[in-house]
Amino acid sequence: MNSTANLVNRLPSDLGGLPAEPIQQIDHVLLPWEKRCHALADVLDFHKIINTEEKRRGVEQLGSEMVGKLTYYERWIVCFANLLFQKGLLTPEELALKMEEVEARHTTTPTA
Amino acid sequence: MTSSKPSVHVVKALGEEPSFKVGDRVRISARYPIGHYRVPTYMRGKCGAVEFVIEPTAVNNEEEAFGRNAGKKGYYYRVGVPLAELWPGYTGPPQDRLIIEIFEGWLERT
Amino acid sequence: MTTDTHHHDHDHDHDHQHGPNPHHQDPKNVDTPPPGYYEIMEIAVRELLIEKKLIGPGEIRRQIEVLDSRTPALGAKVVARAWVDPEFKARLLANGRLACEREFGISFYDDTQLIVLENTDKIHNVVVCTLCSCYPRPVLGLPPDWYKAKPYRARVVKEPRAVLSEFGTEIPAEVEIRVNDSTAMLRYLVLPKRPVGTEDFSEEQLASLVTRDTMIGVVNVSLANKNTP
Repeated sequence: MNSTANLVNRLPSDLGGLPAEPIQQIDHVLLPWEKRCHALADVLDFHKIINTEEKRRGVEQLGSEMVGKLTYYERWIVCFANLLFQKGLLTPEELALKMEEVEARHTTTPTA
Repeated sequence: MTSSKPSVHVVKALGEEPSFKVGDRVRISARYPIGHYRVPTYMRGKCGAVEFVIEPTAVNNEEEAFGRNAGKKGYYYRVGVPLAELWPGYTGPPQDRLIIEIFEGWLERT
Repeated sequence: MTTDTHHHDHDHDHDHQHGPNPHHQDPKNVDTPPPGYYEIMEIAVRELLIEKKLIGPGEIRRQIEVLDSRTPALGAKVVARAWVDPEFKARLLANGRLACEREFGISFYDDTQLIVLENTDKIHNVVVCTLCSCYPRPVLGLPPDWYKAKPYRARVVKEPRAVLSEFGTEIPAEVEIRVNDSTAMLRYLVLPKRPVGTEDFSEEQLASLVTRDTMIGVVNVSLANKNTP
């Protein structure tokens, strides 16, 4: 069997039984944007624009590098963008322009 | 205070009755889909017992993940497998087990 | 836990941090760090969805209020009631969601069912979601980071006794461990054992002993833990 088959047929989130380190009992208070992101997931599910299972698949499809390196809510927001593109509800161009606009609002101007 | 059910004759639709009942021995299919699944790799091909029949039927979550918010519904079952059968060399007591929900499409009778 | 308690009379959601100067879009507020890449993405996605009328302008704020109202204190009340009222306990074990909805008004906004797993002298339950982070959010709030991270998800299904030891919990060999892996529409709340020495406690006092981790099943309720998650 091709040795890379494991990368394909085992999802990056399928962790049960894998070797892992001792548990660090970490927790953090959600940042405001993270909480808004969680609320967004629920609202998208209520509208059946992106249901919870689609979100899970969308996060898996980010692939192992992103799943490993992005934090929990970072994975969610990228996943939502991708799923909205796939559904034709948003385009990458629209999102890029809006992100530029949002960033410009928050650019601090030097004090006089 | 118990009351006996009135005796009527109805024909049930296909799929209305669960295929498995509590206590049935089942095997979780040893197939390896790519793209998306909701049965962890560690469960594939394992045998266990049905512990609970989840009611009512529900849409196959593996299909829901592709945007099907409706579709053919089926039964999910809680299946129990001893940890000693899941993991070679398990050092805990033999009664320790894992229980997981599995959609009917993944279960075969043994 | 921070809660967004101030109210705006605008009908759209704000994207600024709620720092010391929470004015509407004040780019000169040097006390608030500018949003990072992912926050910018979140703001942009949300605003576009509202502009396209795919979601309503107040829905996110409302859902944040829903989330903020769900904390382990809810689960603790349910557990305490089950400890003092055997008939309630029977109803809870028969249908967790219905008992929570009808008798405590805890609504289940996410379409999930709730199974309450009773720990006894013979059985100890612990809950995990190996594939993602399924968790009984309507009755416990949001899960801790460690529950969603690799070590717990990878190891508790394979070596639950070692994992529980890391939480300071030793389960005797005569007690059967059941690891419950959530994968579908069921969510699990552990009904932990009532500690010895609480026979004269009021329901409120009992609830104050029940922490989040006892309802996940990684620790037992003890008289020592009061209100620490």
